[in-house]
Amino acid sequence: MSDPQNTLNHDIKLLIIDALGLEDISAQDIGDEQTLFGEGLGLDSVDALELGLAIQKKYGIKIDADAKDTRNHFTSVASLAAFVTAKQAA
Amino acid sequence: MQRRRLSRLARMAFAVGWPLAEGLQDVPLVFVSRHGETPRTFEILSDLANEQPLSPTQFSLSVHNAVIGLWSIMRGETSEMTALAAAGDGFEQGVLEAACLLGEGAPAVLLIVTEEQPPAAYGPRIDDVPFAYALGLLLTPGDEWQLHLGDNAGAVPSSEPHALSWLRCLLKGDSTCTHTWKSRTWNWQRKP
Repeated sequence: MSDPQNTLNHDIKLLIIDALGLEDISAQDIGDEQTLFGEGLGLDSVDALELGLAIQKKYGIKIDADAKDTRNHFTSVASLAAFVTAKQAA
Repeated sequence: MQRRRLSRLARMAFAVGWPLAEGLQDVPLVFVSRHGETPRTFEILSDLANEQPLSPTQFSLSVHNAVIGLWSIMRGETSEMTALAAAGDGFEQGVLEAACLLGEGAPAVLLIVTEEQPPAAYGPRIDDVPFAYALGLLLTPGDEWQLHLGDNAGAVPSSEPHALSWLRCLLKGDSTCTHTWKSRTWNWQRKP
């Protein structure tokens, strides 16, 4: 958990659970590469908007809902972490 | 996965309605709440006042018929459903609506009346919710009860929510029960 990448992944998992009110699920239950929407974790379009808002608030970054690659950033915890890292560095 | 979206009010409504609908299919639902999800409304308005972005989840569930929408999704129920926000006699208005559905041929109609304890800010304006409550009734055609609407001839308005007052009558075995709201007096009569 000391490695910053793991810490960020873990924080994003907690954010997903908290922002979306997931019940009976802990950070350990979400895989870094697990698909978040549809299959996998089973999140839906309202969750996508809610999660986008939570990420923007927590990390102070701007997400363009219409950008083509936004969808890809929300594929998994790992892709979200990479996106947050890139945005914060920019 | 939808259960997490249920507010306390929705959970109360589901808690009373679910066991009644268990094993039944195609049961129309009449959902009655005068004030609806005041805690959710208050959160949304607070975000607006603080110029914060609105929660998409809160927003998507902020309409009065969100509870019946979730009921439909979670139960796979596609029967007619209606959400009413009547005044202090929403219970009777809901029964009337349900009776109309029975009159149209529905074998049974589920009626859910529920109110949530409003946030403190609404306190001075909402005085008819002593505590959060929900009542679920599965109504079927019959003549066990009669409900008659008359003019209010100077009767004192009921001090407790009509749904709870009626439940008290039912449990005590009273043969009549009277509820007055503004110009309307509802007379309940149980067949002897």
